[in-house]
Amino acid sequence: MTQWNNNFPDSRFELEVPDPLKTDEYVLNMGPQHPSTHGVLRVVLKTDGEIVESATPYIGYLHRTFEKHAEHMTWPQVVPYVDRMDYLASMNNALGYALAVEKLAGIEVNERAQYLRVIVAELNRIASHLVFFGTFGLDLGAFTPFLYGFREREMILDLFEEISGGRLLYNYIWIGGVAWDAPDGWLEKVIKFCDYFEPKIKEYNDLLTFNKIFIDRTAGIGVIPEDLAINYGLSGPTLRGSGVNFDLRKNDPYGIYDRFNFNVCVGDGTRGVVGDSWNRYWVRILEMVESTKIVRQAVEQIPDGDAKETVPKNVRVPAGEIYFRTETPRGELGYYIVSDGGKNPVRVKVRAPAFSNLSVLPAVAPGTMVADLVAILGSLDIVLGEIDR
Amino acid sequence: MREYFKNIYEAVATILIGMGVTLRHLFVPSVTLQYPKEKIELPPRSRMQLYVNIDDCIGCRQCERACPVDCIEIDTIKADKDEDLGLTSNGKKKPFHVTRFDIDMSKCCFCNLCTFPCPTECIYMTPDFEYAQEDRSNLNFHFSNYTPEQVAELQKREAEKKAALAAAKANAGKKPTAN
Repeated sequence: MTQWNNNFPDSRFELEVPDPLKTDEYVLNMGPQHPSTHGVLRVVLKTDGEIVESATPYIGYLHRTFEKHAEHMTWPQVVPYVDRMDYLASMNNALGYALAVEKLAGIEVNERAQYLRVIVAELNRIASHLVFFGTFGLDLGAFTPFLYGFREREMILDLFEEISGGRLLYNYIWIGGVAWDAPDGWLEKVIKFCDYFEPKIKEYNDLLTFNKIFIDRTAGIGVIPEDLAINYGLSGPTLRGSGVNFDLRKNDPYGIYDRFNFNVCVGDGTRGVVGDSWNRYWVRILEMVESTKIVRQAVEQIPDGDAKETVPKNVRVPAGEIYFRTETPRGELGYYIVSDGGKNPVRVKVRAPAFSNLSVLPAVAPGTMVADLVAILGSLDIVLGEIDR
Repeated sequence: MREYFKNIYEAVATILIGMGVTLRHLFVPSVTLQYPKEKIELPPRSRMQLYVNIDDCIGCRQCERACPVDCIEIDTIKADKDEDLGLTSNGKKKPFHVTRFDIDMSKCCFCNLCTFPCPTECIYMTPDFEYAQEDRSNLNFHFSNYTPEQVAELQKREAEKKAALAAAKANAGKKPTAN
């Protein structure tokens, strides 16, 4: 210990400095109010200079006790709450819940309603991926793609407003069918949107996907190898970005998904290496094309009929339990529902895809730069509404 | 060295491609709407505000039960046997005085579940969205057209009726013991 007096007149300012000067890791709170955490996620970073030594996500800032609420709601009343979990893909959430309850209660759904469900779910998938496309660019400093992505998303929201009345939270997919049949000319508008949307993908690729700066920021960053992805229970585009060919719509078809012809998009290492941020992004871009394919086929095949025919007036669910999983834009959304034959569910447990996807962050973060952590977090495409529920 | 210049070339080239995309957008019509000046007509299914046509309400309280967040509060008083409250527009008899029909739009979650069970279709969502208020209590909409005096009178009558019924029941209960 050396006494260090820097000529202050007051001796109180004499400082004791350890000798030799020691460096220490720096603990940094990223969030909960941070634009790149997509909601209210707090990540505690231990950094050594610019390099992240460890990253620990802390969640719960958006906890709204959905699972407890569901125990006090009647079966159809749960649907508006389900919508609010993953608010970027409400239709897909409600579809999973409706399918689970229908399977438990043995309700057959009208054909037309099933096709309408697929159309809205796939449109919602496109809308969700467009938000990802926009915000991912935004995280990495590209502002223009955000505006372009939201322009096309707005058209999907307009379509949803016309069919369901809501722009973000729809309460459209009900147990036993859908809330409304499509209005006159709606299906033609959907086809018109598909015609408009498909050429836009090329625009996105020119603007962002193959931009050299964007590739340098994302390719090779946050590589999640295949085995790590499977071990952490990743699902959806995050898993497929690591080169695992697994899509519940193909591998465990629910509803009427086995009637459509589409490809499962897998990260192929066009740029960078398989499993990095760029490939996760690329899978989502390719998936938007596949979704338009499904929408086109569904509009072509949709039969006439009354979409509300099979909606029961009082939903009666026999005692029992079920685990049902569907593929949302974020991955495998599972509902574990227990019924005792009463008016309310006894338990609704949700296996949120974004929750599992986020869990891989502490494993891939060490050794990256803080700015790259933003890219990794963005490429996981988390929605905090679903993680905290 | 070659790698270095290749990188620079690629960066500049791909940025120029992106700039070309944005440049092309200068010549297409704008998609934004100058909101307060321009407005679009919302589709009829839009869920912006709950409205109750109270003249058609029969006081069945099905909407109140359907609501997942309990934002609808209804009080009803049964009509007398000889009292005629008229018919709804689809020909249903109105058996109740609807003395209170409050909807708290600050609680409402806009799920539309209340509108489907209504037997007279008197509660529905309207596409009118411009009802921002400075005070939260102003979002509590009162739809009943009964004045407080009328309500008090009806409540008094109901209380008298109940008292009379209770007295009759007490008398009826006494009888067997008297015999």
